[in-house]
Parts: sequence; structure tokens; C-alpha cells
Amino acid sequence: MLSLRIATRFLRTGRGQSLLIIAGIAVGIAVQIFVGTLIMSLQATLLETTIGNASHVTLQNVDEKKPIRYSPALQRGLASDRRVRLIVPDRVLSVIFSKGTDSAPISVVGALPRDINAIYKMEKHLVAGRMVSDPQDVILGKSFATKYRLSVGDPVLVVLPGGSQQKLKLVGLFDVGTSAVNDRIGFTTPVFPRQALGLGPDEYTDIQTQLTDPFASTRVIADWATLEAFSGVKYKDWQVESSQLLVGLQGQSSSSYMIQVFVLVAVALGIASTLAISAVQKTRQIGILKAMGMTDATAGAVFLWEAGILGVFGTGLGFVFGLGLLRLFALGPITFTIVLDPAFVGGSCAIGIVVSLLSAIIPSRQTSRIDPIEVIQGG
Amino acid sequence: MADDLLVAEGLSKVYFDVIPTPALTDVSFSLASGEFASVIGRSGSGKSTLLNLVGLLDTPTSGSLHLNGRDTAGLDRVARARMRNTFVGFVFQFHHLLPEFSVIENVCMPALIRGEAWNAELRQRARVTLDMLDLGEVAEKNANETSGGQRQRVAIARALMNRPQLVLADEPTGNLDTENSALVYELFRKVNLEWGTAFLIVTHDPTIAQQADRILEISDGRLQRDVAVPGVSAAADEQARS
Repeated sequence: MLSLRIATRFLRTGRGQSLLIIAGIAVGIAVQIFVGTLIMSLQATLLETTIGNASHVTLQNVDEKKPIRYSPALQRGLASDRRVRLIVPDRVLSVIFSKGTDSAPISVVGALPRDINAIYKMEKHLVAGRMVSDPQDVILGKSFATKYRLSVGDPVLVVLPGGSQQKLKLVGLFDVGTSAVNDRIGFTTPVFPRQALGLGPDEYTDIQTQLTDPFASTRVIADWATLEAFSGVKYKDWQVESSQLLVGLQGQSSSSYMIQVFVLVAVALGIASTLAISAVQKTRQIGILKAMGMTDATAGAVFLWEAGILGVFGTGLGFVFGLGLLRLFALGPITFTIVLDPAFVGGSCAIGIVVSLLSAIIPSRQTSRIDPIEVIQGG
Repeated sequence: MADDLLVAEGLSKVYFDVIPTPALTDVSFSLASGEFASVIGRSGSGKSTLLNLVGLLDTPTSGSLHLNGRDTAGLDRVARARMRNTFVGFVFQFHHLLPEFSVIENVCMPALIRGEAWNAELRQRARVTLDMLDLGEVAEKNANETSGGQRQRVAIARALMNRPQLVLADEPTGNLDTENSALVYELFRKVNLEWGTAFLIVTHDPTIAQQADRILEISDGRLQRDVAVPGVSAAADEQARS
């Protein structure tokens, strides 16, 4: 292909200029991949920390004083919704921990051990002992246990809302990294809270759910609200509860997009201006080629090829630079996990090449205006 | 008329810059296949304008131009480009070689534009042309590494690469010394006689002009004289044979 042949020759003869523009594209794409991945990873970690171990949509009785009934219809309604990935019916009981002269309020969450594991990843966070299995078993935060000098195997005395006392057995200690959970929540089986609260076998204080897409929660609630099986149910939407976090994340995303857009605009302007200069530099050659019968389209294609080649090499180099920067950054003391999203990286590379090609539009049009007569007579 | 490669009828060109400026007015002439003609006239008389029109680099304001029996009036830009590529070969005052390419690549360029592949057969054809112009030794050199005379001969080789039926030369010896000018004329004649290629040469050089079979004189944009030069062709033929 003649236009490709001429393009590569033009690029090779102007090697310095070509390398500079490749470096320019590479820096742009590297920054794009680096900043984008960093912000996405940060957000993913932040989201996981915030809602990874929490309910996305919590179902309660519309009358908060009454328990919610986990009826077969409701079970079917939840189980058949493919957007729901986890359902944890639980019974939460507020008690006062008591030891000698010490006392502290704690919430005891009663649920099936597998459900506790699924939502709180408790097996991962367990630092001593084992998970609950018997009705009187309880696990507490390690910091709470340390504060009140409790060890695995010790009895745990709690005062129920009615004033009666109940003796539980400490079978494990956990550390989820959040003092709000470590210091104030204990986990047990559903049996003890059920008895303490006087609930029926299908009655719970709330039903926690996690969705495959947490950001679909509002839509999911709207859908459930129309169903008969969900009548008398009140919902807690994590997006409403964590609205400030969402505003923060959106702000972060916006600033990330701004940076990425400006980087791409800078890349586009860089390539376009260099190609425009190149088109001016090669006016004589293009004019001669057109005098010899080269069509405007082929002449324009020369600069399209140039842009494509510069784009591919620049983007390829930028990809390597970007990954290198991320690797370097990961060596430092960072508190979040960098996760490379292949779709984002691939998209960034594709955008780099497309932007490069678009940058060739102006120089390509310039060539169609080149008049061979002016070139020939100009000498 | 049947043999006419080129038929111009009432060809006029007016440039509309600030005020309308006529560059060529009502020029009619024809050129037969294998004819060797020169166009003379003062600077600014309209010679180059005529060549640009005939070479389809420019379009006339009025009049008609038939090339190889085909009316060029209805041709779009792409068709005109194709015709420039296959039917016409250009030689300019300046060599206009592409400095990014070697001599042989420059020579092959019209064939590559025509869509031919860069292969051994094409290079061989280019070498034949280069050898004919005594340029075999510089074929692989960069176009910038050759002398002025060689560059103009490379430009001639390039013009001949697609074996055009008509070569249009605009002051082809304008930048050459006497020796190289004579060489260029000899080459033109050789190609004219051996391949039957028609030549239309715009020149200030009276020696070249007088050696053509026919002289067209342009003055103030009008064709003032169109005369045959008796005996030139026969003498050239004899010279070529000797």
C-alpha cells in the first residue's frame, strides 16, 4: 500500500519528530491508565470496606416495633430475584454485658453461622477460637475481650431488656478492623435472640440482603415495593444511608474523568499539531505526488497512516509506562489494593489510537488543498 | 484527427484574483501521436498555463480539451488524477524528486501510484529505464546523493516509468548547463523515436526549440505561430541511428 509506504518513510526520515510525538502519546496514555486505575482501585476498596461487609438493602417490618415475618412468599420473592446474591435473616438483640462492676451495651446479632460468614466474612476475621454453633455460643471483638479481660471459653453474662440475665459462652474472638463492630457487636446463633425476644420461628428483626450490583439498590427497592409478597415491608437503602460517601465517590469520579479527558485532549492536540506541521513540511512532496496522479484520498491516507502508526506505538509504550508506574506505586505504603481492570486499560488504549486517528483529520484535509501547480512553480 | 493525442479547441484561462486576468486566450491546436513539439514565448506569456491545462493540473475557463480522444471536461478529480498518472509524464524545471526515497523508488513512484506492487518485476522495469538514461549506477542511492544533471535525468526516468503517450516538459533544461541540456534533449529524442512518445516541451532555450519538429509560439496568452521545422526529425532520426 503506497500511502502506508510513504507514511513510514516520512516517519523514519523525521525520526526525532516521530519519537517525540510517540513519547507524548505514551505519557498521555500512561497518565490515563495510572490515574484511572488508581482512582478506580481506591473507590473499589472504599466501597468494599464500606458495604462489602454490610447489607445493601435491609428489610424490616413497616412497624419498627414489630418483627418482620420471613414468609414463604417473601422467601420466594427474594430467592427468585437474580439481582440478589445474599439473604441473611437475623435477629438483633440489645443487651448489657456485665462482669463484676463493669458493664457495656452490646448488640447481639443472631443468624445462621454460614450467613454470618457470608456477609461478615467472619471466618477470615476470626483471630481466636471458633465460630458459633450451639445456641449459647457467642463470639466477640478481640478489643472488647481485651478490655474486659475475656478469653475463649469464658462465660459471658448479659442482661436482657426485661432485666433477666443470660449466661453465654465465649467461643471465638474476631477483628474486622472496625471498632464500631469490634467493640459493640457480638454474634450468636438465631436461637438465643429468638427466645429472648419471644419471636416465632419465621420472625426476624430484619432481613439483610446483598446485591450483585450495589448501585441497583434503589431500583430493586422500587421493584419490590410493587410486589404483593413484600407488603408491609420497610426498606433501608445503603445508598441513602451512605449518601455522603456516594457524593464523595462521585466527586472523585468526576475529577478522574476531567483529568482523563484533558489528558486525551492534550494528546490529540499534540498529535494534530505535529501532523499539521508535518503536512506543511511535506507539502512539496505531496504536491509532486499529486501531479504524478496520486488522488486526494491516498494523499490524505498518508497522514492517517502516520497518525495510526504514532498512535499504536505511543499507546503501546504508554501501556507499558502506565503498568510500570502502577507497579512502582504499589511498592509504596498504600492502604488499598490496586486492581487492573482489563476493560478500562483496553478502552484507554483503544481511545488513544482513535484519538490519534482523529487528530489526522485536519492534516489530511490540508493535503486535499495542496495545489500541485503552486508546488511545481515554487521549485 | 484519428491519430491526435491531444486536441485543444478555444482553450482559455482567466485567473480571478483581485481582477480577472486572462492567462490564455482561445488557443487551439492538436498534437499527433509521436510528435515532438516545443512551446516558446516570453516569461508570463502563458506557456506554463497551457502545459498545466494540457497536463490536467488545471482546468480551463472555457474551451475544450480532448486527450486520447476523450473529452476531459467531464472528468472528476479522481479521473483527472488517473489520466495524469497513466497518459501523461511530467518533467519540470526543478527535478522535484522525493528526498525521502532512493533513485529507483522515485522512478517507480508513478507505477506505485497506479497500483502496481513493489516487486522485482517493477524494479527491473525501472532499471531498464534508468539504464537507458545511463543512471544504472545511482539506482540505489538516495535522490539527494546525485548530481544536478543526474537528478533531472532521474526525473525524466520517472516521467517515462508508466510509458506515457505524452510527455509534458516545462523548462526541463532551465537549471542545467549546456552539456546536460544537450543530453536531456538527446534523451527526449531517443525516447520519442524509440517508443513513439509525443513530447510537448516548454522552453526558453532556442537550441532545444529549434530541434523540435514543430514550434508553437505563445504571446500574450495567444497562439501566435504554429510552424513545422523542416528536416529536424529526419536529422534526429539519422543521429539516433548513428
